[in-house]
Amino acid sequence: MTAAMSVAAPAAVDTRPAGIRFDQVSVAYGKHTVLDGLDLTVEPGELMALLGPSGSGKTTALRAVAGFVRPVSGRVFLGDRDVTALPPHRRGIGMVVQGYALFPHMRVADNVAFGLKARKSPRREIAERVAEALEMTGMAAYARRYPRELSGGQQQRVAIARALAIRPSVLLLDEPLSALDARLRSGMLAELARLHRELPDVSILYVTHDQIEALTLADRIAVMDHARLQDCGTPQELYRRPRTAFTASFVGNANLLPVTLGEEGPDGTVGAALGATRLRVHGGGAPASPGATATLCVRPHLVGLGPGPNTLRGTVAEVQWRGATHRLLVDIAGIRLKADVRELRTPPALGAEVELHFAAEDAVLLPATAAPEAVPGGGGHG
Amino acid sequence: MLVHSRAARWGVWTVFLLLFLPLFALPLLVIVAASLSRSWSGVLPSGPTGGHYTSAVHGDALTALTTSLITAVAASLLALAAGTWAALAASGAGRRTRRVLDALFMLPVAVPSVVVGLAVLVAFSKPPMLLNGTPSIVIVAHTVLVTAFAYQSVSAALARLDPAYEQAAAGLGARPGYVLWRVTLPLLLPSLTAAAGLCFALSMGELSATMMLYPPDWLPLPVRIFSATDRGSLFTGSAVAVVLMGTTLLVLLAVSRIRTRATFR
Amino acid sequence: MAEVVRRPAMARKTGGRSVSGRLWALPPIAALGVFFLHPLALVVQQSFTPDEGGTSAEPYTELFAAEVFHEALTTTVWIALASTAGCLALGLSLALVIAFVPFPGGKAVSKFIDVFLSFPSFLITLALLFLYGTTGVANGLWTGATGAATGPFDFLTTPWGVVLAEITYFTPFVMRPLLAAFSQLDTAQLDVASSLGARPLRIVRRVILPEALPALAAGGSLVLVMCLNEFGIVLFTGAKGVTTLPMLVYTKAILESDYPSACAVAVVNVLLSVGLYGLYRVVSRRAGA
Repeated sequence: MTAAMSVAAPAAVDTRPAGIRFDQVSVAYGKHTVLDGLDLTVEPGELMALLGPSGSGKTTALRAVAGFVRPVSGRVFLGDRDVTALPPHRRGIGMVVQGYALFPHMRVADNVAFGLKARKSPRREIAERVAEALEMTGMAAYARRYPRELSGGQQQRVAIARALAIRPSVLLLDEPLSALDARLRSGMLAELARLHRELPDVSILYVTHDQIEALTLADRIAVMDHARLQDCGTPQELYRRPRTAFTASFVGNANLLPVTLGEEGPDGTVGAALGATRLRVHGGGAPASPGATATLCVRPHLVGLGPGPNTLRGTVAEVQWRGATHRLLVDIAGIRLKADVRELRTPPALGAEVELHFAAEDAVLLPATAAPEAVPGGGGHG
Repeated sequence: MLVHSRAARWGVWTVFLLLFLPLFALPLLVIVAASLSRSWSGVLPSGPTGGHYTSAVHGDALTALTTSLITAVAASLLALAAGTWAALAASGAGRRTRRVLDALFMLPVAVPSVVVGLAVLVAFSKPPMLLNGTPSIVIVAHTVLVTAFAYQSVSAALARLDPAYEQAAAGLGARPGYVLWRVTLPLLLPSLTAAAGLCFALSMGELSATMMLYPPDWLPLPVRIFSATDRGSLFTGSAVAVVLMGTTLLVLLAVSRIRTRATFR
Repeated sequence: MAEVVRRPAMARKTGGRSVSGRLWALPPIAALGVFFLHPLALVVQQSFTPDEGGTSAEPYTELFAAEVFHEALTTTVWIALASTAGCLALGLSLALVIAFVPFPGGKAVSKFIDVFLSFPSFLITLALLFLYGTTGVANGLWTGATGAATGPFDFLTTPWGVVLAEITYFTPFVMRPLLAAFSQLDTAQLDVASSLGARPLRIVRRVILPEALPALAAGGSLVLVMCLNEFGIVLFTGAKGVTTLPMLVYTKAILESDYPSACAVAVVNVLLSVGLYGLYRVVSRRAGA
């Protein structure tokens, strides 16, 4: 989409790059708060993923931007426009909803043209934009079909084309891949990444519960849980240096170990005691007060078998062969540690005593949490 | 499958048919048979004739057919418009408004049709709205009676309609009126035609309220059937009844064809 | 998955049309007011306005003293109760067979029931005249078989004729909600029950009936209201011996031109059926129908 093509249409969307800003946005149904004081800024042209489990408030946040739920307090800005009180049809947002909601009584081309016809764009321009949007999503050959004659993946593309045809500066995607099977999903993921590259001016808010989608696509990820924003940062930041135990286990897979902090050493490492085992890890920026409890986070694939720095001794509780890797579940002082190691010729027997280790710089210290292991959706990143 | 033995199953089916056929199928067959006969004293009718039909589609009876058709079409269209409007307003309004609308628009179902007829007669027999003696009073009464059914079916359809369609349309920049015209109503079309068919059938067969207020020059089919049987001409009455059933069925069939076209478009 | 999966009321409220939701409700309510509520109010007003003028409850005192009213009231109620009971028994058994002992043509039977519902009620009485009238099929069979001069079937002009016609006509109204409820029933439950050795009647009583009870109650109360209001069947029966409340309204207003009395009867009839209808709404809302 080139900017030169956007002939000034009177009722058309403001095509200047615009970000999204949530300013203390709260949404409640009766006494039930589903979004609690959300503060978040999506920069112009950025793809922000809202990642969280069911009921975390992520879809509510998206619907607040679209105008389908009205916040009980707080403001929503598109660019510098306060849209909090605007009805949905005056916000000029492109949106793809979960089931796509393609109009079953209209052909693909009419579906895509809908937004343009609704704002009475000139006929020629409608034809051009529809062709362009269909071209972009690879659906040009299907313009005369009805939605029910399309596969799930094709319907998905039409829904995106329909949202893009109005040339929105903001695009909202609500679990766009959840209705697709696994194979189609990875293909569409690449497509979405390409669209994001080709539309550098469009800010995208992408709601998902799938960490892979978020890690693959997003410029930044906002992690939501229990109606609150838990963490926000680039995928790398969140993965390497999570700030909370929830982020650590929801973005990627993590071992969360309850430790007691010790003295800070001259090399910048901090002592941490896991039961009787003494460990030394990089503390991150947080000042460590000796004697305090904390959660130590280390990714399973960064745990190695055998002795090394930070050696842990335990008994093998389970061995899972996963093709290229073996996952070992090792009980250490009542805690079950996951280790993903390169495929072993002779995996340890169940009940065998083994040593595990990890590098000081591969661990992160997090504020202490209760029962960190019971986090849903944490698995599957291997 | 509840009954597993073959014999028991046949037994159940036999009892079912013995109940079902005489009770439900036989009455309709009897009317058709009677409409084709000259007399019926004994087990079977006698004197096959098409004469009743000749008179049923001529003169007064033909007038009654057109009268009924005009009344039913007018009443069902008016009822469809009012019922759809009310159902849309109810679904767009808050809980309390919807409750009130529900109660008000379903009320005509509970009130006896005869009383509806009486009420319309009492209200429109004096200025400023003097409709008594004109065809419109019949149409008014029929509309009042069938609007409830239109309201009910459209309301049910709206409740089933996924709000995602309307939201997607609004999100694409369509004003509420545009959404209604281009998305909501087309998606409701199958239910609207079904509601129209139902209203038409009910109006075609309406007798109770009509008996209270029909003007002498506006006799719908049911009234003609009654006056025929009241005079003792049961066979002519049957022929008119068959015309009534046939017309209703034809229209229902046509409406359901429109409906399938709308769903599979 | 999202937290707001299906919340149509909420979604609609902030969704498309609605900012002035209440305003949009006004025109249809106004139309209903002019053509239905106001006329109904006039009926109530007229029932307190005797022919001699003034406002008094005289039409009511006269009415409550009249023998014909008491008779009409009791006749209406017992015909309605008897018909409803018949419809429930018959509708339940027929629906059970259609749903749980399926046979080829079951679909056609359901279709036929739908068509049956779109015909006017008085056709049934008309047909019964040929079937059970003095020279009808049933009596013809009897006289043919026994050689007697007249047959034994002579109930058409009695309330029983009305009850038979009403059962015939209204039974489908019970069957429809029942069939809908049965189609929601998990058949695996039945299979488990019968694999555990439960006999059909026991399954019906223990598994099916509890599930179908709300639908049965809803259908039953709807039919009760419709029976109380039925006019066509009674009119076509043409029996002087069968006077129901709707019939009395018709007689007073059209044949005797006694509008105050007609209106008073109408008010009683409306109170009776609207009260019952309110009950039906409550029951059917519980039933989720």
